Amino acid sequence: MENRILKDENDRVDGFLKVTGGAKYFAEYELPGLTYGVLVTSTITKGKITALDTKAAEKAPGVIAVLSHLNKPSAPAYEQEGGSQMKIFYTDKIFYNGQPIAIVVANTFERATYAASLVKATYAKEEFNTNLDKALKNSKAKKLQGQPDYKRGIENAYKTAEIKIEQQYILPIETHNPMELHGIIADWRPANKVTVYAKTQGVKATQGTIANVFKIPIENIQVNSEFVGGGFGMGLRTWPLEIATVMASKHIGKPVKLVITRMQMFTMVGNRPTAIQKVGLGATKDGKLTGITHTAFGETASYENFTEGVVNMAKFMYQCDNVNTSYTIVPVDLGVPIWMRGPGEATGAFALESAIDELAHELDMDPLDFRIKNDPEMDQQKNKPFSSKNIKEAYKLGAEKIGWGKRKNKPGSLIEGSWQTGYGVSVGVFNANRGKASVKGILRADGTLLLQSATSDIGPGTGTGMGLIASKLLNIPTSKITFELGDSSLPPAPSQGGSATLSTIGSAVNDVCVALKSTIAELAANSNMDATSNFVDVLKKNKLPSVEITKESQSGKERDNYSMYSFSIHFVQVKVHSLTGVVKVSKIVSVGDSGKIVSSKTARSQMVGGAVGGIGMALTEEAIVDHRYGRYINNNFADYHVPVNADVPEIDVIFIDKPDFLVNPMGAKGMGEIALIGFSAAVANAVFNATGKRIRNLPITPDKILA
Amino acid sequence: MINFQYLRTTSAKSALVLLQKGKNSKFLAGGTNLIDLMKRGVTAPERLIDINHVPLKQIELIGTKIHIGAMATNSAVADHALIKEKLPLLSWALQAGASAQLRNVATVGGNMMQRTRCGYFYDTEMPCNKREAGSGCGAIDGFNRMHAIFGTSEKCIAVHPSDMCIALVALDAEVVLLNSKGERKILFKDFHRLAGDTPQLDNNLRPDEMIVRVEIPLNNLAKNSYYLKVRDRASYAFALVSVAAGLELLNNKIVNVRLAMGGVAHKPWRLTTAEEFLKGKDATTENFEQAAKLSMTDAKGFGENNFKLKLAPNTIIEALNLAKSKA
Amino acid sequence: MQSSDNKKNSGDSRRDFLKKSSLITAIALTPSVAMKAAESQADERFAELFEKIPLNVTVNNKAYKAFIEPRVTLLDYLREELHLTGTKKGCDHGQCGACTVHVDGERINSCLSLAVMNEGKKITTIEGLANGEELHPMQQAFIKHDGFQCGYCTSGQIMSAVACVREGHTNSRAEISEYMSGNICRCGAYPNIVDAIVEVKEGGMKV
Repeated sequence: MENRILKDENDRVDGFLKVTGGAKYFAEYELPGLTYGVLVTSTITKGKITALDTKAAEKAPGVIAVLSHLNKPSAPAYEQEGGSQMKIFYTDKIFYNGQPIAIVVANTFERATYAASLVKATYAKEEFNTNLDKALKNSKAKKLQGQPDYKRGIENAYKTAEIKIEQQYILPIETHNPMELHGIIADWRPANKVTVYAKTQGVKATQGTIANVFKIPIENIQVNSEFVGGGFGMGLRTWPLEIATVMASKHIGKPVKLVITRMQMFTMVGNRPTAIQKVGLGATKDGKLTGITHTAFGETASYENFTEGVVNMAKFMYQCDNVNTSYTIVPVDLGVPIWMRGPGEATGAFALESAIDELAHELDMDPLDFRIKNDPEMDQQKNKPFSSKNIKEAYKLGAEKIGWGKRKNKPGSLIEGSWQTGYGVSVGVFNANRGKASVKGILRADGTLLLQSATSDIGPGTGTGMGLIASKLLNIPTSKITFELGDSSLPPAPSQGGSATLSTIGSAVNDVCVALKSTIAELAANSNMDATSNFVDVLKKNKLPSVEITKESQSGKERDNYSMYSFSIHFVQVKVHSLTGVVKVSKIVSVGDSGKIVSSKTARSQMVGGAVGGIGMALTEEAIVDHRYGRYINNNFADYHVPVNADVPEIDVIFIDKPDFLVNPMGAKGMGEIALIGFSAAVANAVFNATGKRIRNLPITPDKILA
Repeated sequence: MINFQYLRTTSAKSALVLLQKGKNSKFLAGGTNLIDLMKRGVTAPERLIDINHVPLKQIELIGTKIHIGAMATNSAVADHALIKEKLPLLSWALQAGASAQLRNVATVGGNMMQRTRCGYFYDTEMPCNKREAGSGCGAIDGFNRMHAIFGTSEKCIAVHPSDMCIALVALDAEVVLLNSKGERKILFKDFHRLAGDTPQLDNNLRPDEMIVRVEIPLNNLAKNSYYLKVRDRASYAFALVSVAAGLELLNNKIVNVRLAMGGVAHKPWRLTTAEEFLKGKDATTENFEQAAKLSMTDAKGFGENNFKLKLAPNTIIEALNLAKSKA
Repeated sequence: MQSSDNKKNSGDSRRDFLKKSSLITAIALTPSVAMKAAESQADERFAELFEKIPLNVTVNNKAYKAFIEPRVTLLDYLREELHLTGTKKGCDHGQCGACTVHVDGERINSCLSLAVMNEGKKITTIEGLANGEELHPMQQAFIKHDGFQCGYCTSGQIMSAVACVREGHTNSRAEISEYMSGNICRCGAYPNIVDAIVEVKEGGMKV
């Protein structure tokens, strides 16, 4: 990664490359003899391939091979029983519409695309169901426990409360759809040496998956993924299409590049699945929560189970002695979901935080006052103190900034012409995760520091954050620090996900820098130099070109004694047009309570980005399946509405910025998830405040306002 | 995409000759819809005749009409001083469509030839009578939230996606078509068709013709015009419902009025009954409401799009009020 | 232009065209050797020459000559042939703006433009915006205001932003947002992008 002289130490270290088009994403590597793969996908939803006619495709100009279950190369793991049933090209079964069934490889992209259109499959169709609601109503449909049931105190205590609400909330399928299309370049060389250029959130995970599928030594596989054009969770696994491309390269002995289409991004690389949730809340007349019941049903695939933390928040976010939750996953005939930003917690927060607002309304209480009143002193689920929690301060700062005082508790009170104004608030919370990672640090006599770790940067600014941590510890300007990532040969690190990168990798960077510092101090002492001597002088005096240290770092036992979470509060002002049902988010204040802020500019951007994602989740995004066919009907960026620039107001971000050294040596907690979690509820709550209309099924489109 | 043959020409006449010379030929203007459709496999012409060099980009006032060449880009029209001054409704409608990048290449003629954005039309694995006659309509009993409420047929309930055309139909535009025998002129309102039994036909352009220009008579609506587009996001989205409204007021009395609606029919939907009702009346919300109600007489929902039965009249009222308050 | 979508392959059309093309006054863009073959009523084996046609374009002030299939988009030509991969493929259907380039100074989506439609045109991509190491003011402003995260939409955003300023559609934040709505950013950097454009506009910098 090139490191230009930065105008401001908080600027992104890869900014120059990104604004000049110099940052290379996976599909942009030039390999000699590169060929192009294009997938053929199933046009039925469930059944079997009975025949596959590839003759026309094979004869088409430029075509090198057509690979399918009929002629795939050996992938030993797929020859064994067990594991997921989705063993690409090792099964003739169809599990969902749009499933890859063949890959056509040609010498140009255009030729491969055309030839793929010539492959004709014949199927034996079976009955299918892609509708969660229908599956729930069918007593014979399979239902699986997604998480053990949880209970403390009395079950369903809300039912006997003085004031109670009981409501159902529905979220549709939402898709990650990062701007970069998914895919891979695979280059299988003699002696089973494999190099891939991947779009992954974890180079080590991709390396491990390929090694496992093909049963080749892990050191034979080199995974490169320096720049990733967004992930949002989609890159947390190696998808069948990637394995298909590796197979194709193995088969033809040339590098193969596959870039899937935007339409295929809806079917084969996961989604945030449909969820139907029921929340029951009870309180005393003066507003003390007495019962929380959160029941959730989420989709999974027929061929693989997928679970996420939909009901987690209900267990600890509010002071309440009686809580019970259950989470059921229901197989439908769609591609398997994958965690999407905020994952299940964001799904769950929409329901819980909407319900909290509904209960506050029933109590005729300001929802902010209600939350403050029920703010827990400790984590009742784990029975441990929080390592840090500054929620009350966050409430106060955010409320002041948005002008919460202008809010009227009676919905529909603020009207100007055809526009109604409303205010909403919601809380977000996510585990302050920290994993295990290694970082290598090389301090050089030319005054530079090189840090290396096999982590990723899907956009948050990993290298920028790490540079800032090292800069402060070693007193080196960030312009002299290079952080290398996205390369499986570097010291191992976990995948970038679960808001854990800064905490996990940053801690290892911290430990390496501390060790480098003491090594320099020792060298200084040995060579009779002052302990505070500059490392350049120390290295030179010792005639050392550099010193190198690798450290592995992970949490200590603090984690056993404390409950560790990041928190966010989202304040939203909306304007709702009473005649057309149009909802505009007109003001946003997001407050992050996520420990010390290490990288102020990128941290703010992450909160801004979460809010934008939250606008999409709340107002515009819904991937629609026509359940008669099992096919997506709006599988493109014209019809699946990601927010555009005009949907987004100026966004105020406030950080509490207080270190929590129990979590890690920087005192910093992750914030990728909390930036989004809860946001959609804040919007729905604001819409209710503006109009008196409670929309419990997202997205809140004009038709729902008018209904 | 098949590797079609690509031809380029610099005159309208030779373009027409080329069109006749080979079967399954299409004109290629901006390409923003055609190339998209070819990538999706919805259409597969074997010959493309690039007409971008045909000199039909004029925007000029001739007598009492503004002439706009078929190859003028959407942005050139929208940003043209003459259009902004005399026909702001057209300028706003154009700006409400697509994105700045697309408007820079999309042409007036191409915009008129735009095909529906119905998801069933776009997915070659789904039934669609417009794409493949006799295959059925996926939308009637399916996902029809974006679909038509006026002039539907049992074969197709798709909507015309253009914004520009809604303004043009409101502005009493005419279309000039060229064939080997010469020019012929039709009213813009007669250019597009209802689906009827032939949903595969979007318009009345004959196979041997090309659009050469539109002509728009000058009017006195410029002061009180508004194009209101209701959509699922603030920009870069097709209309749920859009209304082009133009008023000529004299002491709050409606001397002349034009109303057309988008997102509701297989063609740009002119609201003549409402116009007749409003002429000579006061520009009041009450009268606008009555006009909106009259506009909905023949409307019919198909389930998911039932909300348009409410959204459409509301949008008419709001557009009229906004047009009025522009003064 | 009629709108029936007849997929039926009229296999003779190419040969017919070859035989009759000498009658046509228009410029049929075909290799001269094939034209000669056609004029002399030659056999259709020459037809394969029609698979590719010549192209002359200037990209970032450098002239390129190519011989390409007409179905190749400008986007794929830039990325796969010229290896100018700064221009991104985000949707390939004109729905995201990641592929935005300037053609004769105007912003367009290169994914919906055939390369051959750009014969004789001057194309500027993100790689051609900076003056060597000296960044264009918009690039500098994007860094300063953190107008990106993953960076994938950034080239398109910057090309679009430069055009937006040139077009004069920068009179308010709302106008900027509207005229930048053809560029989707999934990371959600929109307010920062508007900040960058406001700075460039207010700075009166040459774009």
